[in-house]
Amino acid sequence: MNDDKIIPSGTSMSITEFSLPQRFKTNRKSPLRWILSHAKRNWFILLSAVIGAFCNAALMSVSPMLIGRAYNLITAPNAKENTGALGTLALILGISQVIRGGMQLIRNLSFELIAQRTERNVRDELYISLLGKSMTFHSLQPVGDTMARATNDVRQVNFFFSPGLNMVIGSLNFLIMPVILAPTYHPSLIITPVVFIIMYFLALWEYMGKLKPITNRVRESFGKLNTRLAEALDGIETVKGASQEKSEVALFIKNATGYKNAVVEQGKTEARFLPLLLLSTALAIGLLQALLLYKNGIIDMGQVIGYYGLLLMLDFPTFTSLWAYSQIATGLAGARRLLELMNRENNLDQNLTGFNEPMKGEVEFKGVSFGYEDGDPILENISFKVKPGQTVAIVGQTGSSKTSLVKLINRTYDAITGEVLVDGVNVRDWNLETLRRNISIIEQDIFLFSRSIGENIAFGKPGATRDEIEAAAKAAQADEFILTFKDGYDTILGERGVTLSGGQRQRLALARAFLTDPRILILDDSTSAIDSATEDRIQRAIYTAAKGRTTFIITHRLSQIRWADLILVMRKGRLVAMGSHEELMKTSESYQRIFS
Amino acid sequence: MGFFEGLDAEKYDRKYQDRDLVKRILHYFKPERGKIILVSVMTILISLASATSVMIISKAVDWLKNDPKLSGIILVSSLAFGIGFFNWVANWIGRRTMVQATANVVMKLASDGFQAAENHDLSFYDEYSSGRIVSRITTDTQDFGQLISVITDVASQLLEVVILGVVLVGIEWRLSLMVFVIMPVVFVIGILFRQLARKATQQGMRAMANVNSTIKETISGISVAKNFRQEKSIYDAFNEANTRSYQVNWRRGVVLGLIFPLLNALAGVATAVMVYVGGLSVTSAIVTAGSWYLFLLSLDRFLFPVMNISAFWSSIQNGLSASERVFALIDAEPAVVQTDNRPVVDLKGQIDFQNVCFYYKEDEGVLENLTLHIKPRENLAIVGHTGAGKSSVAKLIARFYEFQSGSILIDGKDIRTFDLAEYRKHLGFVSQTPFLFSDTVLENIRYTRQNATEAEITALAKQIGDGEWLETLPEGLHTEVGERGSRLSMGQRQLVSLMRVLVQHPEIFILDEATASIDPFTEWQIQQALNLILERSTSILIAHRLSTVKSADRIIVMEQGKVIEEGNHMGLLENGGHYAMLYNTYFRHQSLEYVEKAREMVESER
Repeated sequence: MNDDKIIPSGTSMSITEFSLPQRFKTNRKSPLRWILSHAKRNWFILLSAVIGAFCNAALMSVSPMLIGRAYNLITAPNAKENTGALGTLALILGISQVIRGGMQLIRNLSFELIAQRTERNVRDELYISLLGKSMTFHSLQPVGDTMARATNDVRQVNFFFSPGLNMVIGSLNFLIMPVILAPTYHPSLIITPVVFIIMYFLALWEYMGKLKPITNRVRESFGKLNTRLAEALDGIETVKGASQEKSEVALFIKNATGYKNAVVEQGKTEARFLPLLLLSTALAIGLLQALLLYKNGIIDMGQVIGYYGLLLMLDFPTFTSLWAYSQIATGLAGARRLLELMNRENNLDQNLTGFNEPMKGEVEFKGVSFGYEDGDPILENISFKVKPGQTVAIVGQTGSSKTSLVKLINRTYDAITGEVLVDGVNVRDWNLETLRRNISIIEQDIFLFSRSIGENIAFGKPGATRDEIEAAAKAAQADEFILTFKDGYDTILGERGVTLSGGQRQRLALARAFLTDPRILILDDSTSAIDSATEDRIQRAIYTAAKGRTTFIITHRLSQIRWADLILVMRKGRLVAMGSHEELMKTSESYQRIFS
Repeated sequence: MGFFEGLDAEKYDRKYQDRDLVKRILHYFKPERGKIILVSVMTILISLASATSVMIISKAVDWLKNDPKLSGIILVSSLAFGIGFFNWVANWIGRRTMVQATANVVMKLASDGFQAAENHDLSFYDEYSSGRIVSRITTDTQDFGQLISVITDVASQLLEVVILGVVLVGIEWRLSLMVFVIMPVVFVIGILFRQLARKATQQGMRAMANVNSTIKETISGISVAKNFRQEKSIYDAFNEANTRSYQVNWRRGVVLGLIFPLLNALAGVATAVMVYVGGLSVTSAIVTAGSWYLFLLSLDRFLFPVMNISAFWSSIQNGLSASERVFALIDAEPAVVQTDNRPVVDLKGQIDFQNVCFYYKEDEGVLENLTLHIKPRENLAIVGHTGAGKSSVAKLIARFYEFQSGSILIDGKDIRTFDLAEYRKHLGFVSQTPFLFSDTVLENIRYTRQNATEAEITALAKQIGDGEWLETLPEGLHTEVGERGSRLSMGQRQLVSLMRVLVQHPEIFILDEATASIDPFTEWQIQQALNLILERSTSILIAHRLSTVKSADRIIVMEQGKVIEEGNHMGLLENGGHYAMLYNTYFRHQSLEYVEKAREMVESER
């Protein structure tokens, strides 16, 4: 397997924003090694699994061999005298098969235990790794994608062990039993099982190679079908408004036909599963060979029966290994995606020894440029200076990089060229904890945890008293709506609780900020008030929040822009105008336009 | 048959009579009957051959025991190989035919389901989530298609068991009884196991869902956690859920891991008993040694089909209730019904509501005896509190819903007599949350008129703010908008949906204005686009922005489904009536005057 070259960097857990005392180390150099390093922590369980698998297959093969012996006993000339021996033999057979069940159980449970433990540990490792990543990482990494990895891919690693590895190890033992035991009847009887095994793997290889592109096509065509289907129903108003029902149906039939054709082709390929034919050929040839040996008096009929029974054991691997091997492959692919995520650069560290003084709140940008890796620059040559306590409004169209600009201040991102200074000190030289503790960012999408309103407000200051929380809520003009809920501050938010409007969320976030009293407040404001009374409250809340601290507001509100100490007008990553309202009304045409 | 119960049921679901359901199902299978017959024939042949194969091997033991002739040996081996080869070919033909038949049935049913869904009116979509409709069209139709393979799989195994059973009874009935006795035991184990496994799996899935939602929440909120340095606290929440899931899923694993060892041990004991008892029958010359061997070989073949049969009935139920869900979707009655399909020619855009009554639910009247006259080319703004019936007026004109009494006339003709598809081509509709398809900006703009050229659209785009908005898109008109337009800002999405109307050039334009906040630069561009449309269409504007109400020729104020005031902006404001109050509630803060006074207001209060 060519896993080794895909993962760029090796174990790089040293630089991170968050860490827990590591309880164990895993090898992150390749997916296989990584999975095995997890398995190694449970080596004794793995050992019992392998022993269980071997004993299961070995005891399974006892059955046909004993049946062969029994045949000899009951067909012997003095058969009537053999009933005692037959009883003993049957007893041994029964006991061996009960033990076999026990061994199989040990195999199953051992693999299951490793699988479940590994799933838990892998998810834990992934989660800690995610917590340690910088915000640059998280803002580039879509939540949906992370979720897919934390759920599906982690699951696939579980399935790698059970049923994947369980079935592979299990069926490999079934494959080798005829090879080991057939020679006890006659050395030449080894030929059929060995040839079968070789041909079987070749056929399997060919089959899987042929199937892979087809299953990809099935998945892709289904994705296409499903996406458009969901859109055509979600956007039904648009479809009907444009009178496009007929063309949507035509498109659906086209997509569905594409999917159907892919499914049919997959079915046709699967129907032609060659190992099945190989198995019956092996059985026929084995039978022929054994009967010829019998004809020549080299083995007896009981041995023919025993040998045929051993060959019949090959059917288990023939049927199961098909999906067992693809399970192993999917498990490895899942592990590869997980590693790819965990091994991605962290590029920020906690800078524990950095600058650590009370912050005043002066902010200066000196020729700052920024862009994501291998992308065009997002911000180019930005310079401005803000005195402590001033309010700065940032305006511009979508895509003008307003949000990226403010995120350089608390090192969510790091500037590529130029310097971002807070109190005259480059943000890179600040202790990260101190820097972030003093800067509060209220994002456009305000995230609230599925906890109570009180806990959400106190999120940044876990020990806050109820009085402090209420005072903060009042200052943020949130008190009023909170008290309209039956449970007031204990109202649970989120999926199983109350959902809040954008404006209400924003005021909770402001309350959060009041409680932590940051020196610099950054507010990405995209709420819109439906009515003037709400607007009045928002105005008051923001005004109170901005008082006494340096405040950056990305806003669409003309009133916020109008009264800011400094207005930055952005366009496509550049600062195209800057100054007070009065200055800009004289100098900037586009600025005048929005106030007309 | 009414198998569906619980979570997935919707109000439009119905119970079909067994006979109707069967008739309906046969309708879908009929075109495939040739294929289904072929599959059945192959299935029967495979069962026969498999049973024969076992019998030949065991008989051979008797034949060749005392007289191992070369010809006999070759005959037996060739038969074994021949049957194996025949089975493989029959299986190949059967399976590929089955896949084709299944795919055709699924495709037909899904297309019918989708077509029905597209024809349902908006009241249907208000009531039922589109996600569930999607799953009826994709998942349920596939479950239905699986019926073919479920039935043939079980039928073939059952057939083999029956054939072997008959043969065994023919040889010796007492030994046969021993084989048969194991069947109910396995059947009961199968059923118990399925119950246990289902419960454990449900718990496992719940614990897993809990872990996933914990991860989702904390990863979505990671910036907040990092901002306040609370990583440890969210880790603890995660760790708890993860550990819990491990415990529950391990328990599930134990349950699932038990069944095969148990069955194998059981089969082993049965084999041992058969070896002994059968062996005694051989020594007493009741049966031959070959027959004894046949009984042993048959044991295994009885065991696992029985396991499958215990799962069979629930698979059938699953497929049938899936079909019922799709049929219910297809059969749901449409609410909007046209009485005629007259062509729409030279529409001027005059609209009349005469005593129109309309409600979504019977006891909640929305419009009551509404009478309204809108002149061609008139720009009419509708204002009022939430629930006053503003959107309903717009949606009735678009004929998205059926009204209960009165009449709506377009150019003096009853709206119910038009060819609906053609009528809507003359109608531009922009909803409050503009919907874009995941395609390019260009394709989205020409959604209303597929033959519009790129040059034409570029020229139109340039008329809005000198086309500056196109420059902000990374690849201009060819920018992919992402799923549901997620890669564009709300303002850009509104611009695209207005562009759609500009390209369509409709006689009647309906705008349900968005309330989302848009940056002042884009806002200005939207205003420009709007002005272009207003110039040439009869417009019904459900206004949320001050600039829109100001630009309307006439404003009507609605309350509880009635028009309570009308006039233009300045006149109504001076009147000091309902409009003046609404202005004070909804529009005051949008005025430049407010902007100037905002600072004063907040400072004075402190």
